Amino acid sequence: MRRRSRRDQVTIYALMTLVMIFFLGPIFWFILLAFRHPSEAYTLPPQLFFEPYLGNFIDTFIDPGNNAPQLLSSVIVSTGATLLSLPFALAAAYSLSRFAMRGKEFIMNWYISLLIAPPIVFVIPYFILMSRIGWAGAYQGMIVTLQTLAIPFSVWLLKSFMDEVPVDLEEAAWVDGANRIAAFFRIIIPLALPGLIVTSMFTFVFSWNNVIFPLALSKQSTTTLPVGTISFFASTGVYWGHIAATAVVAMLPPMIIFLLLGRYVVRGLTFGAVKG
Amino acid sequence: MPNRYTIQRRLPYLLIAPSVLFLLALILYPLAFALRNSFWFWNLQMGPAPLYYSGLDNYRMVFQVTPFAVALKNTLLLGFLGTFAQFWLGMGIALLLHTHLRGMGLMRAALIMPTTLAPVVAGFLFRYLLEPKGGLLPWMLAGIGFPAPPQGFLGNANTALFTIGLVDTWQWTPFFAIVLYAGLLSINEEIKEAAQVDGAAPWRMFWSITLPLLRPIAAFLVMIRFMQLFNSFDLVFVLTSGGPGTASRTLSFNLYREGLVNYNIGLTAAMTWLVVIIVSVIINLYLFFIYRKREW
Repeated sequence: MRRRSRRDQVTIYALMTLVMIFFLGPIFWFILLAFRHPSEAYTLPPQLFFEPYLGNFIDTFIDPGNNAPQLLSSVIVSTGATLLSLPFALAAAYSLSRFAMRGKEFIMNWYISLLIAPPIVFVIPYFILMSRIGWAGAYQGMIVTLQTLAIPFSVWLLKSFMDEVPVDLEEAAWVDGANRIAAFFRIIIPLALPGLIVTSMFTFVFSWNNVIFPLALSKQSTTTLPVGTISFFASTGVYWGHIAATAVVAMLPPMIIFLLLGRYVVRGLTFGAVKG
Repeated sequence: MPNRYTIQRRLPYLLIAPSVLFLLALILYPLAFALRNSFWFWNLQMGPAPLYYSGLDNYRMVFQVTPFAVALKNTLLLGFLGTFAQFWLGMGIALLLHTHLRGMGLMRAALIMPTTLAPVVAGFLFRYLLEPKGGLLPWMLAGIGFPAPPQGFLGNANTALFTIGLVDTWQWTPFFAIVLYAGLLSINEEIKEAAQVDGAAPWRMFWSITLPLLRPIAAFLVMIRFMQLFNSFDLVFVLTSGGPGTASRTLSFNLYREGLVNYNIGLTAAMTWLVVIIVSVIINLYLFFIYRKREW
């Protein structure tokens, strides 16, 4: 490694400090907003130190707590979408990882084309469909339709993890008399378990952060937290304290999950295409 | 009874089938729905079913009633400028991280935070920061001699779309930075050392060695990011609702407005097919130009 001059080092640190302020400053400032008294939301020059105020969180989540059910809805929809995608994705990823077959590349590209297609194109017909089959505003509607994103994503990411489980181990199990299915559950699942957990965590975050599907397919009692936060704009004018409190609660699970994911972040964000 | 061999031969396809069939059902329904109804007049406010066959009227109306051409222009502008800015800013940050100075690991881990946010939450953040009266950013910019337009950056027709692009760039530059950094780590140091011995200047090494080696990763990142920008809806919804006027309307927001606000199902269906065709053309052109050269 080339040694850098003192001046280079100072320049690099100065640039990196600007970068960090630019990218983290807005989040920090918004979290502070959630703890400000509503009358201080617009105080200029900005006050960095102030008496923390918990009223915004109490209003939105405890009393009257209109946003607490939305938090529950977010958990139900994201968990449901994640759990539903796993069996489909697990089977497909195993197959794509282990067998040589015609059209493999085509199928992989087909999955990715679903991931980058404009979701709004699907959402409007789903909106009509759901009211026809009696699922208007129901959790099932959101959970099932989110699979257009959850399954392709999980297949790609899980395949990248299964590719790393040595075929030898599986073959050894066959020699010992286990059939393919037994070997799958005894060898592949335990060894790919970290991958399975990482994939579930990402699918959960993507479903959690999704707004287009619940915006079109939920009703008031099933709507998710990010959509609930939007409704503040529509109702009584912009009440920033409440928006910030709900948005801060909505941003916490993805942030915590990303911190836990650590070195898998790169892989997950690129659907397994780049191994970090 | 099928013998062991046939099962073995069919197994790969049997395992993929559930996911493919499920997904096919999920996407063919909307596409077929849109194709059929694009030839019918149907406004949901007038009735729960299509009213009458209207031939190609809906396709004409897309251009006459909705600002489709403006939305297409805005969408492409957002896609190209956003992807370009995010790629190069991200590359710059990746190179800074790659200096491996003390503390870079921690900074890399913290840097990803904007990307973890729901796009709507990122929208709230910047709507607050950009508030014309009392927002932090207009106050800071005015302090250094760049006063915001009176309606604010989001309320001005000249700056609205550009500001949406900046917020998206704020959110996704860290994504480029950490993935490109991972790419830099995977480059064999010996290649660079050999070039250094040959006396190559740093910028020349970057253009002739680093960048070509990052090409596969970069091509993938640019494709998914361009398409995500092309599909921009959440940010537009929260920041400007496509306004002022139609200044920041994107194709996705145009579809949303016609379908879920005006309930023009027939017209939305026609627009859906136009968008599907445009997206297919873009993806295939991209794949053609990027992957053509890798044949040899």
